[in-house]
Amino acid sequence: MLSTLNSRLSTSFAGAKRWLIAGILLAALASYLSGGINPYDRGVWIDCGINIILAVSLNLILGHTGQFSLGHAGFMSVGGYTAAKLTLVCAALVPAALHPLLFAAALLAGGLMAACAGLLVGIPSLRLRGDYLAIVTLGFGEIIRVVMQNTEAVGGASGLSGIPKLTTLGWAFALAAVTIYAIAGLVNSTYGRGFLAVSDDEVAASAMGVNPVRYKVTAFVVGAFFAGIAGALYAHHKQTLVPTGFDWLKSVDIVVMVILGGMGRTPGVIVAAIILTWLPEHLRVFAEYRMIIYALLIILLMILRPQGLFTLRFKKKGKEAKTLP
Amino acid sequence: MSDETPLLKLDRATIRFGGLTAVSELDLEIGRHEMVGLIGPNGAGKTTAFNLITGVYQPTSGSIEFAGRPTAGLKPHHLAKLGVARTFQNIRLFASLSVFDNVRVATQLHREHGILHSLWRGKGFRESEAAVESEVMDLLSIFKLEGLRDEQAVSLPYGAQRRLEIVRALATRPKLLLLDEPAAGMNPTEKEELMHLIRFIQERFSISVLLVEHDMTVVMGVCQRIAVLEYGKKIAEGTPEQIKCDPKVIEAYLGEEEVES
Ligand SMILES: Nc1ncnc2c1ncn2[C@@H]1O[C@H](COP(=O)(O)OP(=O)(O)O)[C@@H](O)[C@H]1O
Ligand SMILES: [Mg+2]
Repeated sequence: MLSTLNSRLSTSFAGAKRWLIAGILLAALASYLSGGINPYDRGVWIDCGINIILAVSLNLILGHTGQFSLGHAGFMSVGGYTAAKLTLVCAALVPAALHPLLFAAALLAGGLMAACAGLLVGIPSLRLRGDYLAIVTLGFGEIIRVVMQNTEAVGGASGLSGIPKLTTLGWAFALAAVTIYAIAGLVNSTYGRGFLAVSDDEVAASAMGVNPVRYKVTAFVVGAFFAGIAGALYAHHKQTLVPTGFDWLKSVDIVVMVILGGMGRTPGVIVAAIILTWLPEHLRVFAEYRMIIYALLIILLMILRPQGLFTLRFKKKGKEAKTLP
Repeated sequence: MSDETPLLKLDRATIRFGGLTAVSELDLEIGRHEMVGLIGPNGAGKTTAFNLITGVYQPTSGSIEFAGRPTAGLKPHHLAKLGVARTFQNIRLFASLSVFDNVRVATQLHREHGILHSLWRGKGFRESEAAVESEVMDLLSIFKLEGLRDEQAVSLPYGAQRRLEIVRALATRPKLLLLDEPAAGMNPTEKEELMHLIRFIQERFSISVLLVEHDMTVVMGVCQRIAVLEYGKKIAEGTPEQIKCDPKVIEAYLGEEEVES
C-alpha cells in the first residue's frame, strides 16, 4: 500500500530503539572489520557516515520543516572548530586511554556550539521564507567563514592542523545511526508531525494549536546540533581544518543530497548521501563539474521525479481534488 | 467566570485593509452550547470575521473576548489552546500527511510530550501515543473516516475532506467551533448528513458552533440564531424565522440568491 512505502505518511516508528541498537552494533562490526579495508576506502566510508549525518540533519530543516537553509556548512564548521580546539588543548593533558572520552566530550561540545548558532539563525526564519531565508542562511555561513579566517585562536586563514586522529569508522557509523534514529524518531511522533504540518500549511498548523515559530526554530537547533557533530567528526578525520573548506558550495552539496534523496524521505536521503560521496571519488569528471552536474540533475529531477531520485513512491494523488470548488 | 458570560463576545470589532472596511463595528455574542449562523453575500466579511476571532488578524478597533478574556495580541495557536477551532473555506488539510496524521497533529496541544519524550520513547511516551491513537480513531469513526486512516488526506473525495477538516478541528478539543462553508461542494445527501453531524457533535462535545454557510436549508436547519452581514456590517440578527422575513435581509441576501440561481 501507498502508506507503507512512504516515510512521510507512515504513522509509526515501531521498534525504533531496536533499529538504533542494530545500527550501532553494525557500526561496531564495521569498525572491527575495517582493519581489512584499504585505508583510502575506509576514509571514504567515514566521509559517507559524516555526510549521512549532515544530510539527515539538514533534512529536518529543509525536507520536513520546509525551510530552505544554505547554512549547514556553517553549522558544521562551528562544531568542527569547537571540537578540534578542545582536543588540541586537552589531548596532552589527558592520558591516551581516556582519549575516546575526550573525543565524546568534544563531539558533544561541537554539537552544542552549533546548536547555539542554529538558534541564532533560526530567528530570521520567523520572518523570512523561501529565497530570502536561503540568502540569510547563506550569509550566515559566509560570516562564520570570515570570522574563522580572522580569528587567530583557531589558526586564522591557515586554519587548524595536527588535530588528533580520533574519528574511526565505528564513531562515524554509530553517530550516523544515532542521527537517523533521533531525526526519524522525532518526526515519527505526535509532537514531530508538527514539523510536517508547519511545512505543509503554516496557517492551518497554527489554527490547530501548532506554534510554527517554535517548530521552525527547533528544527534549526536540532539540525545544527547534528551538523556540529558531523563537523567534529570531520575535523578528527581530516586532521586539518581550513575556513575555505566550509564555504557555501559545501552547503550546496548537502542540499543536493536532500533534494536528490527526496525532501523529507530519510531512506532516500541516506542513499543519496552515500552515492554522492562515492561518485566524485571514482569519477574525476564528476568532481570537476560537480556544480554543473548538480544543476542539471536538479532540473531533470524536478521535471521527471519530483519525489526524489532514490525513493519508491507512488504518484501523488489528489492534485485534482484541490481544484474543485 | 459566571455562566452568563458569553463564550465569545465581539464588541464593535472592525478591521480595515487599506481603504476597505472588511468588518465594521461588529457586535456578536455566542453563548455556551449555542449554534449561531453567520450569513451574507460573498465578500460580506464572514471569513474575515473568522480570521479576527481566531487571531489571524488583529482588529483595527473594537475588541474580542473569549470566555471573558480579551484576545488582543493572541496568536491563532494561543486561541486554539484556549478552545477556538476552525475549518477553512478553501480546504487547508496538511497535504503530505495521512488522514490519521492530519488529526493527530491537532491533538498535540494538550499533551506535554515534546521533543525529549519523542527521542527517548519510554513507557510514558508510548502510553501517550497509544492514547492519541485511540482518541483520533474515535473521532474518525464518528465521521466514518476510520477506514481511510492511512490514505493521503488530499486524495479523499471532496466531501470527505470537508468532514476531515471538522474532525481535525475537534481534535483540538474546542469550546467554540467555527465552520466556514462546510457544505460547499457537497451533494444534497452529504448536506443532509452534515446537518445531522453538526447537531450531533454539538451535543456530544457540548460545544458552541458559529456556522458560515450559503446553503439556507443547512443554516436554517441547525442554527438557533442567525446574524446577517453585508459589506462588513451586521444588518440583522434573530431566529431563523425572523431572518427569513426581514426585508433588509431579503433585499441584501436572499434577493441576490434568487438572482444567482
Ligand atoms: N487580507 C486581506 N487584504 C485585503 N482585503 C481583504 C483581505 N481579506 C479579506 N479582504 C477583503 O475583505 C472583504 C471580505 O472578504 P471575506 O471575509 O472573505 O468575505 P466572505 O467570507 O463573506 O465572502 C472582501 O472584499 C475581501 O476582498
Ligand atoms: Mg468567505
